[in-house]
Amino acid sequence: MTWNFERVAVPYKGITGGVAWDGKSVLFSAVQEERVLKYDPQSGRADNFRKYSGRTNGIAIGLDGAMYGAQEGGRRVIHFKPDGSTAPTCDLLDGHHHNQPSDIAVDGQGRVWFTDPHNAVAPYGPPVYPFLDHGPVLRLERDRAGAWTLKCVTRDTREPRALVLSADETTLYVAEGNAEMDGRCDLRAYAVHADGSVGACTVLHAFAVGERGIEGLCLDSAGNIVACGGWKKSGAGPLVYVFAPTGSVLEAHPAPCDLPMRCAFGDAGLGSLYVTGGDACLYRAQGFGRRGLQRGTGTPG
Amino acid sequence: MQFEVDMLAPGVERIIGADHSLEVIADSVTFGEGPVWDPRSKQFFYTDICGDTIWKCKPGGQPEIVMQPSAHANGMCFDREGRLLVAGWGGRTVFRFAKDWSVVTLASHYEGRKINSPNDIVVRSDGQIYFTDPPGGMLNVGMVGDDLQKYLDIQGVFRLTTGGRLILVTADFVYPNGLCFSPDEKLLYVNCSRERLIRVYPVNSDGSVGAGRLFYQYTHPDRGNPDGLKCDIEGNVYCTGPGGIWVHDPEGKVLARLKVPGHPTNLGFGDDDWRSIYVTTVGNVVRARTNIPGVAGW
Repeated sequence: MTWNFERVAVPYKGITGGVAWDGKSVLFSAVQEERVLKYDPQSGRADNFRKYSGRTNGIAIGLDGAMYGAQEGGRRVIHFKPDGSTAPTCDLLDGHHHNQPSDIAVDGQGRVWFTDPHNAVAPYGPPVYPFLDHGPVLRLERDRAGAWTLKCVTRDTREPRALVLSADETTLYVAEGNAEMDGRCDLRAYAVHADGSVGACTVLHAFAVGERGIEGLCLDSAGNIVACGGWKKSGAGPLVYVFAPTGSVLEAHPAPCDLPMRCAFGDAGLGSLYVTGGDACLYRAQGFGRRGLQRGTGTPG
Repeated sequence: MQFEVDMLAPGVERIIGADHSLEVIADSVTFGEGPVWDPRSKQFFYTDICGDTIWKCKPGGQPEIVMQPSAHANGMCFDREGRLLVAGWGGRTVFRFAKDWSVVTLASHYEGRKINSPNDIVVRSDGQIYFTDPPGGMLNVGMVGDDLQKYLDIQGVFRLTTGGRLILVTADFVYPNGLCFSPDEKLLYVNCSRERLIRVYPVNSDGSVGAGRLFYQYTHPDRGNPDGLKCDIEGNVYCTGPGGIWVHDPEGKVLARLKVPGHPTNLGFGDDDWRSIYVTTVGNVVRARTNIPGVAGW
């Protein structure tokens, strides 16, 4: 079945990045414009959700409705509070400032997982704090007093750019590598143990040298991995893939633009797929035979 | 320790002097700022933004903590009553230490919205307080407080009247940072870290300002953007900028560049004769001697 994408929000400056469905609307980042927008499928309008987001890229919403952003520019994960304020979390890993968060996910316990690679654009402020000596996946959790603490999840990643947890949260999928930083790219899986640590990496799909790899991940209702990746300048081109949990490619469709960025299911029954991209638009495909995973219930919603 | 000087105009030795030695006042400073001399207690005050501390130090003595944590305090100055005023950066307020060193918040909102992050601060002789309000204290790594949301659509320079009214001086800036008055207080200089320039504004008798004009546009490729800004008693303008401290004559012409090692962030004149230049850097606080006294603080 062909996936037909329509452009639903006009170009912004730079790229559009993180995207998330809040139950009624699509929230997405215009990263360089330093704002998060809200697209209302009913009206077809995209308005500001939050200005001055500090180059927030990834966006995730927890089961309790808490909304978080991966603030590339500020080297921190931020909490967009309902009152309009924005709270920091914990940006120190063992006393060191982490890198530049890119993608983000909230699990059923309210823990916030994020990839922490490096970005081509320098962070805000004077370069006082060096980067970590690796590019990990990190996880924020609250301690008994409610304060955020930061844990290291992966140490074998260098430039992890996207992540998603399986429906039962026992597998962490990570898109690793940045072709523009001469890295090899792959899609990999880690078993998540009960204590939150992860097992050894299993590469599900390896990309050839020079291929862009994957920038955005989400799951369909069957637990398959929907991934945005690729670029026009080499390889198979810009695509939206569907991978089985084993890594087999179930489907691959031309992306609506070059440098597709992130993806999320939305609309009634999570029957649409929203995609952001390097052309700074928001795209939507409808009625293509897959639905998104409804978290918290285990059934498609 | 010595620093080198680019002598960029004839006769500049008269201002800068021949002694280019630096005395280290404090090291182990992560990000020094807010240099100000207290003529009453004869000691130097400064902030470590990333270290989240306000410090004071008597000549030859060891630094002592004034406030920790300090809401990532940034620029400071003394008012005419000798009370320390602080641009509260990460905490997003302007505050004052009372005589008993308790903290009094002076400004936190403009037209009902929380201000950005006060960066540097200066007092006019009539008691009005001027401060810059760029966004860095909501964004910079290691410098932020509890609320990172910007609510104002401007990056203002503000004036706080003695009656406590907060008035917008100008919204001309992308990233207003350092500010100071000319010796006669008829001019207000403000620099912009993003556009790498200094603007100057005529000051009216009530403290309001007229239209600003470009005083100097930095184009030098060396690392560093306009940050701290001070005047000496002859009206020369000192600005921490690319590769050191730039000294301009009152027309804007470049006279010299003091290549203080490291990354100078701000400067403050001090000592009894106001002929020392205290320089805060990313790493330490140093002192140099000069020939022309700075505009005396209170």
